Amino acid sequence: MTEAGLSVANPPVAAPLVSMRGISKSFGENRVLRDIDFEVAAGEVHALLGENGAGKSTLMKILMGVYAPDAGSITLDGENIVGTSVQDHRAHGISMIFQELSLLPNLTVGQNILLGREPRLPGWRIDHRRLAGNAQEIIDHYGFPLRAGREVRDLGFAQRQMVEVLKAVSQGARVLVMDEPTSSLSLREEERLFSIMDELKARGMGLIYISHRMAEIFRLANRLSIVKDGRLIGPLVPAATSIAEVSQLMSKTTASALPAVTALPDAAPVPRTETGLALQVTGLGTATKLRDINFTIGRGEIVGLAGLVASGRSTLAKALFGLIPDATGEVVVTGRPLRLGDAARAVAAGIGFVPEDRRLEGLVLDHSLAANVALPNLGRLLGRFGLPYVSDSRIAQLFESYRSQLGIVARASSQRVGELSGGNQQKIVFAKWLATKPGLLILDEPTNGVDVNAKADMRALMRAVAASGVGVLLISSELDEITGAADRILTLVDGRITRELHQVRDEAELRGILQADVAARVEAGADTKEIMA
Amino acid sequence: MSLPNTLPGAAGSADRPDTIARRAWTLLMQRPTYLIFAAVTLFFVVFAPNFATVSTAEAILRITALVSIIAVGMTFVIICAEIDLSVGSVASWASMVVGLLLERNVPTIVAVLAVLAMGAFIGFINGILVTKLRIPSFLVTLGMLSVFSGLALTVTDTEPVPIVDDRFSNLFWNASYVGLPVPIWWTLLLVAVGFYLLSMTVFGRQVYAVGGNLVAARFSGIKTDRIKIASFMLVSTTAALAGMLLAARSTAGNPSLGTGLELDVIAAVIIGGTSLFGGIGGILGSVVGAIFIGILGFGLLVMGLSTSIQEVIKGAIIILAVALNRR
Repeated sequence: MTEAGLSVANPPVAAPLVSMRGISKSFGENRVLRDIDFEVAAGEVHALLGENGAGKSTLMKILMGVYAPDAGSITLDGENIVGTSVQDHRAHGISMIFQELSLLPNLTVGQNILLGREPRLPGWRIDHRRLAGNAQEIIDHYGFPLRAGREVRDLGFAQRQMVEVLKAVSQGARVLVMDEPTSSLSLREEERLFSIMDELKARGMGLIYISHRMAEIFRLANRLSIVKDGRLIGPLVPAATSIAEVSQLMSKTTASALPAVTALPDAAPVPRTETGLALQVTGLGTATKLRDINFTIGRGEIVGLAGLVASGRSTLAKALFGLIPDATGEVVVTGRPLRLGDAARAVAAGIGFVPEDRRLEGLVLDHSLAANVALPNLGRLLGRFGLPYVSDSRIAQLFESYRSQLGIVARASSQRVGELSGGNQQKIVFAKWLATKPGLLILDEPTNGVDVNAKADMRALMRAVAASGVGVLLISSELDEITGAADRILTLVDGRITRELHQVRDEAELRGILQADVAARVEAGADTKEIMA
Repeated sequence: MSLPNTLPGAAGSADRPDTIARRAWTLLMQRPTYLIFAAVTLFFVVFAPNFATVSTAEAILRITALVSIIAVGMTFVIICAEIDLSVGSVASWASMVVGLLLERNVPTIVAVLAVLAMGAFIGFINGILVTKLRIPSFLVTLGMLSVFSGLALTVTDTEPVPIVDDRFSNLFWNASYVGLPVPIWWTLLLVAVGFYLLSMTVFGRQVYAVGGNLVAARFSGIKTDRIKIASFMLVSTTAALAGMLLAARSTAGNPSLGTGLELDVIAAVIIGGTSLFGGIGGILGSVVGAIFIGILGFGLLVMGLSTSIQEVIKGAIIILAVALNRR
């Protein structure tokens, strides 16, 4: 990681309120965090950025006491608090506001704020009158527009966040972690949240602000740090850097350290003799996200789909695969029209789909490697003796043929897939779709959460697959992955395809184009906000 | 964010020779309930009078037939990570319906087929409510339990319906072929069909996938709703079949015949190693579980314990077995 030329800040802020030093954490052999220093001062907003899977949630979970770090220390006001429980960390004043709010919707605002600390009457009864009074006092103290007696289910998202904040501060929170707090807010609500944050800053709290939205970060943050491949870059001072520089830092992978991508040993590159289209999409749209999508993918071609978070990347993949019920439009796969809305039809038409979240969407973790590979191929694995039965030996055979081809490291075909490393799990997902002999392969974040070497394997695999005449749609938040692998790039902004690029080989250039398009959309109308939410 | 992974470094280390003793040990570790099963059986063989005889075994299998047959269907539903609590009352209702049909001189075979079809239809309704209206199966089938026990009581104003059709009685309970009573043949047939469906067909593999990870199954192009509906149809059909066995045994349709059967059936499936969380299990385990419950009931009876105490001991042993089997 080159940090030369960066304006690494030693900013003139007060002594740190909380300070993490030399934090490392591994899960198995997967090193998630390496030697990270991170601190927040009183009265500061410290923004934390990073692509999905970079390690920022792990860092925050260590701060919260959910995980114990393998090495390093956490000090709060000079007191070492590492190695204690979540309750301890909270008692020390570290609180987090989660993306999915953790309020009880059936209770009132006051009951939520004072949950577990309700004033009592004799006989374990709750003193409801005093509860409402105390809660209203807290609310008024911070000047939030809330009433203690309202039920939380009647509140909007911004107001719910206020309740969360009050709950935390009334428990003595001094450090508040906010994870994507604006992701479900409207513009007006956002403004309200920002003024609340100003208020908290003025009262000397330290705020850690996790977000993908650059504009907000540059407006709010006193300092910002970037988690990239388990290491921390920064802290930087917003005034001394720029959106472009930060985006570049976020996306710069260890690509230069990767071995050159080569074809797989026994999948020799085939010249693109096959002509014709693997996919033709006309007027694809969904009720909420996608608008009038038109594009084609040739056989043997890799088309990259570049877009920022919430641009509709994954929605497009799911719509093509029949997982979005309200998707409309004409889709032709290898020359045959496909009726949308049913994944079974998509599989039959020859689409393979490596989804974004392999543990949730791609694999049955408790089942064997062979069973997972066989899952979309069962119909073709029937035995030959008249009776329609699925033979175990043919399932194992299918797995073995891909095991050698993809270099899957495993004990036996009967091993549980949950026991494999991230990279090998991803190879199982690849294998299950390659076995269907697809005409079109959709890859949604194929290298998400796999280590550096497995990333190189994945890229080589992708090339080899395309070389065999399969059309590939590659979706990735790592833009250099797209510029490195794709023959053609489509940019997706707010659910619309804005450009088709043929000659972009530079990651920074692509990011610049994307940001220009996003900015243009934002200027074109504030309604984007609603679409993104 | 990745969760803790075990890494493939283990690849080299596990290639130790698989001796028979080692494999037996692994099996026992995977199925600790089989130890309890063996211990309990041994206890009865030693302490209960005349327990280790052929006639005892036959009696147990005969009693077990009802639970085994429904357990075959229930295994599908539980592997799908669903549950069916209505099987007992569906069995009662089926016994009433078949009794009434035979009373009106409907030909035996027609009556039997009609009741089986009715069972499948009840399962279809359950499946639709669970998958399309997204009501948890626990609630749907709890409601159905009440509906069908109520219907069974209402249809004749709680009176049993006598069955005098010999063909029917022979078909389901009285006759013997090749030395085995017909209920045991029915069990064997159902177990064979169930095993084939669950372990050897595409449908069976898809049942496992649906229960193992519903989202991943959907993302693999499996029609998950259909798989669940088919599983509900299977279990209700087996419940209807068991209801006819019950009617043949007591030569009457009786609205309270199947009461409480669902508990024994679910216990049998869980004791047999099928996970209540879905995705793991098998037919043969469920049959072992059913036989275990049969042995327990019969053994306690032979030891001269009252039925009330039997229930207490049975319940405690079932909880113990399930606790050991938890994954």
